[in-house]
Amino acid sequence: MDILFFKAALAVYLASTAGFIGSLLIRRVALARVSAWVLTSAFALHTVFIALRWLGSGYSPAVNLPEALSFIAWAITAIYLAFQIWTKTRVLGAFVTPLSLALVIASSSGVMGTVEADQSLKTYWVTAHVFLSLTGGALFALACCSALMYLVQDSLIRGRKIHGLYRVLPSLGDLDRINHFSVVWGFMFLTMGIISGSVWAGTAWGSHISWDPKQIATLAAWFLCGLLLHQRLVIGWKGRRAAFLSIGAFAILLFAFVGVNLFFTTIHTF
Amino acid sequence: MNIVILGMNHKTAPLALRERLTIACEDQGRTIEEVKSIPEVKEALYLATCNRVEVLANVDDVDRAVDSLREFIFSHGNLSPDEMEACLYRYRDEDAVRHIFRVASSLDSMVMGEPQILGQVKDAYRVCVEKQATGIIMNRLLHHTFRVAKRVRTETGIAENAVSVGYTAVALSKKILGSLEGRSVLLVGAGEMAELAARHLKNNGVAKITVANRTLENARALAGVFGGAAVGFDSLPHALGEADIIITSTGSPGYIIDRSLVASALRRRRNRLLFLIDIAVPRDIDPSVGDMDNVYLYNIDDLQQVVDENMRSRLAEARKAEGIIDEEVINFIRWKATLEVVPTIVDLKSKVESITRGELDRSMAWMSGMGEEERNNVETLIRTVTNKILHEPVKSLKEECENGGGHSYIAALRRLFGLEETKK
Repeated sequence: MDILFFKAALAVYLASTAGFIGSLLIRRVALARVSAWVLTSAFALHTVFIALRWLGSGYSPAVNLPEALSFIAWAITAIYLAFQIWTKTRVLGAFVTPLSLALVIASSSGVMGTVEADQSLKTYWVTAHVFLSLTGGALFALACCSALMYLVQDSLIRGRKIHGLYRVLPSLGDLDRINHFSVVWGFMFLTMGIISGSVWAGTAWGSHISWDPKQIATLAAWFLCGLLLHQRLVIGWKGRRAAFLSIGAFAILLFAFVGVNLFFTTIHTF
Repeated sequence: MNIVILGMNHKTAPLALRERLTIACEDQGRTIEEVKSIPEVKEALYLATCNRVEVLANVDDVDRAVDSLREFIFSHGNLSPDEMEACLYRYRDEDAVRHIFRVASSLDSMVMGEPQILGQVKDAYRVCVEKQATGIIMNRLLHHTFRVAKRVRTETGIAENAVSVGYTAVALSKKILGSLEGRSVLLVGAGEMAELAARHLKNNGVAKITVANRTLENARALAGVFGGAAVGFDSLPHALGEADIIITSTGSPGYIIDRSLVASALRRRRNRLLFLIDIAVPRDIDPSVGDMDNVYLYNIDDLQQVVDENMRSRLAEARKAEGIIDEEVINFIRWKATLEVVPTIVDLKSKVESITRGELDRSMAWMSGMGEEERNNVETLIRTVTNKILHEPVKSLKEECENGGGHSYIAALRRLFGLEETKK
């Protein structure tokens, strides 16, 4: 039953992604407006899937990698939809939906089957740790998207290419604001995710930190993000430099999340 | 039933001439009354803007109506016929419909794609409706015109991009800073074009306009226009730090704003984005300022290049618009053609009705033996049969008229059913 909702959500995500990218290609906002509603329905289906999973299994539906990927896609979509209501910049969708879609597709092979999880992971601390960290990751993904768009728009304006893509992309001011907002909240969620994880590790493994590759990479991203916030708030960094730094922070975080599992052995399930 | 349009626009007539005509016909209501009083004119619309004067009319006898309308324009313009003749254009039927569609869609405007013209056509139409100068054809034509103009606006990009330096500056400011609400502008120098750009910015929500000039007097005069502050050149470094948009237009031979000045301004404003527009020749701002982070610099050539590009894209969009208009002209002409068939259909139906009526009356004698209900049934039966027989020819006749080949069918039908005789 829940899988049915997942499949439906996947299909609707695909439609919305196609719509958003199409609107960018033909440069018509009307199509992006429709795609935003399509995305909203995909999000609703996805929400139903996660809720059914949670009720069905009795523990948080993000205890393995595929489910975590699906949760991140869900969180990215949720935050994007909130942004859209706030800033009315629908074009961001063309950058965000492919990401959500890719995550949902990556998760699709895993979530279809049944999930087995270690008994020690079924505690509130783990649930909090996973949800907070993943939401933080989703916010960083959005920060990265807006930073990429900023760099594109910046180079178009500087290059006097005042047509086509320039007209569709949001203003530099708005993109910088979205980036700043995502980094501030992403940093807070990531901080809380790290703290909750180490609290649980302290009780379950006896030590708050075990210098696991994933922990090291995450901390590196956290420090970079902290640096960015410091530069932004104290020195007043803006625009291109902030954009580059937030892309860097997201890259390290992405490595911590996916790359570490491929190249190192880690105590994290994912 | 013929549609004609007589008029002159910025391309055909000099301003002085248009002016004279516009003033003579200033009272649009009275003008339309006068046009209406021409005997051949059944319906009319009078449109006068600063770039055009047009009389659109539905007339009986085209040649005589055109003569009368020309007479009307000549007398109001108070000019020799030769002079006027050279400026006046006239279109009829399909071409007249196309012309009014093009005018309302802003394809015939001085600045193609400008949005005011549609409103002006609507206003002119409202005056004519109030004076009861319009009827079936004109009402339909004008509503069709409004629909076409809307289609052109939404389906083509004809009105999309800024085609003046001032609007381009506004559009760029919005793309850099986001909303212009509450932003502040600094004008360095009191050039005319800078003033125009500042006016556009102010209309788009800019909160504060400061003017810096070498002579404080001139700065004060311009600042007074915008309700802003005036400063001398000595306080330029401070003023730079306050502004989000800076427009320079001084006559200075060298650079007034250099990297170090901008760098200190950026420090003061904590790197908030800064948009510099240099419309002075020779330039006022060191071009290398444009390489700095969070600073965007455009000079007059850059802006003009954007304007030219936008104008080119408007021309490309105009071709799309002409396609839409061709399509809609055909739609309208089709509708108008079906009007020609209406009298014949009415005649046909009334002839059949009179035959039915006559036969029923004659049959009263033997039908009197029937009950009320049975008599009604017989009547209903007869009507159903005649309607069914008429349905197919009437439908085909309308179709033929829509496709423009209705005349021979109308003649044949009138001959076959003896409709001319019934009229006599």
